[in-house]
Amino acid sequence: MNYHLLPFTFTRISNHEVLVNELGDMIISPFGTVYKLVNREPVDEELFKSLAANFFVSDTAIPVLSDIYALRLREKKRFLDQFTALHIFVLTLRCNQNCVYCQASSCNEDCTSVTMTMHTMKKAVELMFKSPSPYLTMEFQGGEPSLEPKLLRYGIELAEEINKAEQKNINYVLCTNCVDLTDEVMDICKQYKVMISSSLDGPAYLHNTNRGKKDSYEKVVAGFERARSILGHDQVSALMTTSELALDYPIEIVDEYRRLGFRSIFLRALNPYGLATTNPDWTDYTDRFIEFYKTALNYIIDLNIQGTFFIEEYAAIILKKMITPYTTGFVDLQSPAGIINSVLVYNYDGYVYASDESRMLAEFNDYTFRLGHVDEPYENIVYGKAAKNAAKYWSNEALAGCTDCGVRTYCGADPVRNHSTQNDLYGYRPASLLCRKNKAIIEYIISLIIERYDEVMPIFKSWLL
Amino acid sequence: MTIQIDRNIFDDAAISKTIYWLSGDFSFQRRLEGEIESITITPKPGSEMSDLDIELAFLDKLNDNKLRGIIANETKDIRTILYAKAFADDDYLSEEDLNE
Repeated sequence: MNYHLLPFTFTRISNHEVLVNELGDMIISPFGTVYKLVNREPVDEELFKSLAANFFVSDTAIPVLSDIYALRLREKKRFLDQFTALHIFVLTLRCNQNCVYCQASSCNEDCTSVTMTMHTMKKAVELMFKSPSPYLTMEFQGGEPSLEPKLLRYGIELAEEINKAEQKNINYVLCTNCVDLTDEVMDICKQYKVMISSSLDGPAYLHNTNRGKKDSYEKVVAGFERARSILGHDQVSALMTTSELALDYPIEIVDEYRRLGFRSIFLRALNPYGLATTNPDWTDYTDRFIEFYKTALNYIIDLNIQGTFFIEEYAAIILKKMITPYTTGFVDLQSPAGIINSVLVYNYDGYVYASDESRMLAEFNDYTFRLGHVDEPYENIVYGKAAKNAAKYWSNEALAGCTDCGVRTYCGADPVRNHSTQNDLYGYRPASLLCRKNKAIIEYIISLIIERYDEVMPIFKSWLL
Repeated sequence: MTIQIDRNIFDDAAISKTIYWLSGDFSFQRRLEGEIESITITPKPGSEMSDLDIELAFLDKLNDNKLRGIIANETKDIRTILYAKAFADDDYLSEEDLNE
C-alpha cells in the first residue's frame, strides 16, 4: 500500500493498540496494527478510513487538509495565545484550622508578619493587568484568606477600578475553609460575585481527623449553607484532598458530596509539598491512590448509569483533551506547563512565584521558582532568569520518557514537581510518581472506553456539555 | 541474566529507550561485539520478576520502541512542517517553504 505516515505514538491497553496523534485523536485498534502500518501491510478497510480521516496516515506527503491539522494543533495549545489567566493572591498564611496534610505551610491565627501588605496587593493587581489574557481569574488563597477581609476588598476594588479602562473579563474566587464566613466577607462576595472554593474531605469523621479539629465538619457544612443562601447554590464548590486515611473511603466520600448537594467531585491526590512531605511512603500512597481513584470513578459511573448525574472532574478534564478538539484551563495537565503560561502567584511577602506549588517550596527555603518581586517590572518577572530556566523543561514533547509516551497528549509537564520530588527539573520518568499516577489514570479511562464503550461514552460525553 | 540483541534489527535508540524505562527496577550492563549487543540485566532490590518475565518485558518494549522510532523518523519532517504551520508567524512562512 502506498501512503504516508503522520506523527503519532501508541501504547497497549486492554489487549488493544491505542494510537494517539499530536492532536489527541485516538484510534483503538487490534494488536499488530502499528506493525502493519509501518510496513505498509494491508489493514482492515474501515480502520484505514478512520486512520486517514483522523490524521494518522495520508495519501500525500503533506496532507491535503494540512491547514485544518494546523488549526486543530493551534487550538490544542490555545492557552498559550492568551498567556497567564489565573492569578493567585496568597493573602496570608494565618489559618484557623490545623490540617494534617497542609500543603501551604499555614500557621495559627496569631502569627504576625505573614500577611500581604496593601502595597504588595496594589503592585500585584497592577502586574496581573499586564497579562495579555482577556480573561483573568483573581484567586485568593492562604492560609485562610477570609481572615483578611480588608485586604480582600481592597484587591477586588482596585481590580474593578483598573478594569474600567482595561475591560477584561474578571472572575473572583475565594479559597476558604468556610469555617468563619463573616458578614463582612459575605458582603464582599455578594457585591463582586466572588465564587467560593472550599475544602471538604468527606464524612465528618474523616474531615475532622484531617483538620485536627473536632467540630470542623459542622462548621464547614454550616458555612456552605450560609454561602449558598447568600450567593446562590452554584457559587459554592468544594475540593477534597485524599489523605492517607481517606484512601479507605472512596464510596463514602462520593456519597458525602452528593448528600451535600454537589454535582461533581475532584478526586485529588496529595501533593508532596508543605507539611504533606512528612508522609512516610509516597510510592505506597500513589499506588493506593490509583486504586482509590478507580473504585470511586467506577462508583460514580454506576451512579450515572442509575440516573444520577454526577461528574468526576479529573476524568472530565482528561476526557475533554481526549474526545474534543479543545484544550482545558487545567494547569497541571498542560504542555508547555501551566506554570507562568497559565498561572502566577503573588505571595504574601511580595515575591512572585511560578505556581502555587512553587511558593509552597519557598516556605522550605527552596526559591528555584521565585520569579521576582511585585516591585519589579512585569517583563523581568515573566521573562526573567528563573522563568527561562523553567522553560527549558516545560514541554513534554521534548522530555525523555514523555516524547514517545502513548498518552503524552493527554498529560502535561511539571518541572516544579520534578524538582521537588527528584531534585531535577528535567525529571526521571521511570521513578516519577506523578508519571505513574497520571499514566495509570489516563490508561484506566481509556480501558473503560475500550471495554465498556456503550455504557460509559454517553456518560463521559454528558460530563463535557 | 543476559539478552543478546542483533544490532542489524534493533538500533541503539530502541535499546536505550527500552533500558531507560526499565532502569527504575533493573541495572543494565551493555557490551557490543560486532553486530551483537549483550545486555546483562540485574534486578534491583525488591524486584520479584522471573527471568522469563524480565526477558518478555524487555523484548515487548524493545519491539514497541523500534516501531515508535520508525514512525518518529519517518514523520519528523511533516511534524516540523505542521507545527510551523500552526505556530509560526504567517509572514515568515510561504507555501513554498512548506512544500520544500
